[in-house]
Amino acid sequence: MGLEARLPQGVLLTSVEKLVGWGRAGSLWPATFGLACCAVEMMATGAAHYDLARFGMEVFRASPRQADLMIVAGRVSQKMAPIVRNLYDQMPEPKWAIAMGVCASSGGMFNNYAIVQGVDHIIPVDMYVPGCPPRPEMLLDGILKLHEKIKTEQFVVRPRKGESMEDFRRRTGWEGPKPEDVAGPDNIPQPGERHDLHQVLGSKAVGQVRQ
Amino acid sequence: MDLSSAPEFTVVGADWQELPDAVEDNLMVINMGPQHPSTHGVLRMVLTLDGENVHDCQPVIGYLHTGIEKNLEYRPWTQGVTFVTRMDYLSPMFNELAFCLAVEKLLGITDDVPERAQTLRVLMTELNRVSSHLVAIGTGGMELGALSAMLYGFREREHILDLFEFVTGLRMNHAWIRPGGVSVDVPDGFEGRVRTVIAELRDRFGELNDLLTDNPIWIERNTGIGKLTADQCFDYGITGPVLRSVGVAHDLRRSAPYCGIDSYDFDVVTETAGDSYARYVVRMRELEQSLRIAEQAVDRLSPGPVMVADKKIAWPAQLALGPDGLGNAKEYIQKIMGESMEALIHHFKLVTEGFVVPQGTVYAAVESPRGELGAHATSNGTNKPYRVHMRDPSFVHIGALPALAKGLQVADIIAAVASMDPVMGGVDR
Amino acid sequence: MTDHPRMQVPDVSAQEKLNQIEASVSITLDQRTQRVRDRLASAFRLLTLEEFRGELTAVTTPNELLALLQFCKTDPELACELLTDVTGVHWPGGTREHRAQETTGWPTYSVEDEGRIDVLYILLSVTHGHRLRVRVSVPDDAAEVPSAVEVYRSASMLEREVFDLMGVQFAGHPRLERLFMPEDWVGHPLRKDYPLGGVAVQYKGATVPPPDERQY
Repeated sequence: MGLEARLPQGVLLTSVEKLVGWGRAGSLWPATFGLACCAVEMMATGAAHYDLARFGMEVFRASPRQADLMIVAGRVSQKMAPIVRNLYDQMPEPKWAIAMGVCASSGGMFNNYAIVQGVDHIIPVDMYVPGCPPRPEMLLDGILKLHEKIKTEQFVVRPRKGESMEDFRRRTGWEGPKPEDVAGPDNIPQPGERHDLHQVLGSKAVGQVRQ
Repeated sequence: MDLSSAPEFTVVGADWQELPDAVEDNLMVINMGPQHPSTHGVLRMVLTLDGENVHDCQPVIGYLHTGIEKNLEYRPWTQGVTFVTRMDYLSPMFNELAFCLAVEKLLGITDDVPERAQTLRVLMTELNRVSSHLVAIGTGGMELGALSAMLYGFREREHILDLFEFVTGLRMNHAWIRPGGVSVDVPDGFEGRVRTVIAELRDRFGELNDLLTDNPIWIERNTGIGKLTADQCFDYGITGPVLRSVGVAHDLRRSAPYCGIDSYDFDVVTETAGDSYARYVVRMRELEQSLRIAEQAVDRLSPGPVMVADKKIAWPAQLALGPDGLGNAKEYIQKIMGESMEALIHHFKLVTEGFVVPQGTVYAAVESPRGELGAHATSNGTNKPYRVHMRDPSFVHIGALPALAKGLQVADIIAAVASMDPVMGGVDR
Repeated sequence: MTDHPRMQVPDVSAQEKLNQIEASVSITLDQRTQRVRDRLASAFRLLTLEEFRGELTAVTTPNELLALLQFCKTDPELACELLTDVTGVHWPGGTREHRAQETTGWPTYSVEDEGRIDVLYILLSVTHGHRLRVRVSVPDDAAEVPSAVEVYRSASMLEREVFDLMGVQFAGHPRLERLFMPEDWVGHPLRKDYPLGGVAVQYKGATVPPPDERQY
């Protein structure tokens, strides 16, 4: 928080930090930023079946000036890129961004002239939620992992208005994604590993596909 | 923008009213930007306003342009299904079906697609129509302030998405309909589940109907908004529920049927008013008609193959929950590795190179929830498409926005656009 | 829901219903195409008509395009009220392979081409239920076609798309600007000499080249 930047070094406010972190994560208001198919899954996450209101997040603020979370849901095209950045700059700090879906995370299956290969070329992303589109449960997993991150985060360093991502990284040393900043199950096999899917899923498969 | 020829005024305070009187047209140009809670996705409209009245509404699109058509030229024909399905993302089955019908037409195997595959295609696409209309009505309601409509619509949609997940493994963007048939047959217990879902949906549609149809606010906000005449619809190339709401009973399921859909008993729903409310009523009534078709399709399901018999085209994999995750069934792997060399060769060729499609240009269209969705495919005799153009109904309907917006106020623009039901993924491709 | 008065299907007697269905299927698709073909051949004697997989394509020149479209719209036998699609196919100049056989693609011949763009129009008749394709070929370095906006207003958006993605100029179009790409974009993406523009992808230690540079 800004308070810590002004205090002399070495003075920590642990309980206050925890309280502030809990407050921030408790009602994180998303900005309406649905672009494509992932937007429909985001709406389904906000709808009655998978409820976002239980996390205090059902109010999708239309104005970015009233939001703290930008869920980039869908593919970002060349024409849309400056607008994404514009909206992100309009959000007041502290602000976080979730890249929902593979198109926002890395360009997805559209490796071509028209799609920005990952919205992290434009804005700093705090959580990646892969999937095409990710299931609502997966988006909720990403949001909850982001909540954990917010509760433990001290400073929220963000780019200045109009500052490019390269300049931002050079100026602050912001690192970007860590392996725990990706939503999804924690038992995905790494290269060289295999595991028994039947054991993971339990003895009953979700749907008995005809042999 | 060149401002050197613009008129100059000097206004210092109390004479402020002189400025608008001096300017000849009192019009403001306001941007309803790509990020807006009430436009259906990333649609930008540049409105020319006189106070609250709209003089002109120019749509600016391209904020979701994905280059799908260019991507299709670099992948085999079967893989094109995965690209095309993400175009009009609320009706993925229809995109797949249009593309596959075009490919089958080029291959000349339209009559060889098995009966069970046709029936399954009809069943799943009609369920997709239901889910798409529910989103249209739900988001239309939300944009006008009826937030419960969205919750009801999405709750109903979950039933259908569960069914889709049961069969294809995915809730959206399935890549299930492939050239030659469908990629995987339905699991056991499917028919029972479909009948239960249809019965539940019929009940729930009554609730949605009670919420909106006689609602005085809904009626007032939608009646007389966005009126179109039949001539205007033809001129602007409008098809689908919007054309049917002006009284023209044009439905591709009757005039140019596909997958044997004209043998099902259903009514083509029309209204005459041509306004936003009429389009809402058309969509609600089409929900019931789609359920009728789905019921008949389930009754008609009889055992049989789901892929065309020609092994050089039929997608080879028999999917099941195998030892290495969801992949080929053990019996199938035994067959191609141990028993039949031919099957192995077919599998190899189809999965790596894909089948070769003869030269030519065809156009195949289906009646999607928004209108005529067509695939205009050109092949040059290779395993990759040469040029595929997807004719999307929302794209053409967006061109009609200036006509739709004549004489409306700003808040009515939302109602009018919501009733056209554009999906920006299809508009921008 | 079906007992709500607004949701009723209008009561059409059984015989009328049968008549409606019979009228729509009494004339098969092939017969309809044949009628369209005969009508066009009698009205425009120098028109080339091709048929492939049951679809009719009328090949014409840019000069005669508007006359043909106007005829198709106003003639009562053709009655093509809707222009449903305008698209372009780019055949770049140079040698390319022409596959002779339908299925195997063999033997192949080399064909020398000058570089052209085919602009294809699809017309739909609601009254008769038939479809017609009109094809115009223009050289790709000077691609200009008269705009069909005066005949069908839906051409306004459709032609803008072909201009943006293929670079075909439509003479007489009121607002021929870029539609999908940003206004200052250079090049026309769907031409064959425009690269796909992908990037190499790194995944778990390996690098996968972009789709247009792969071997398979």
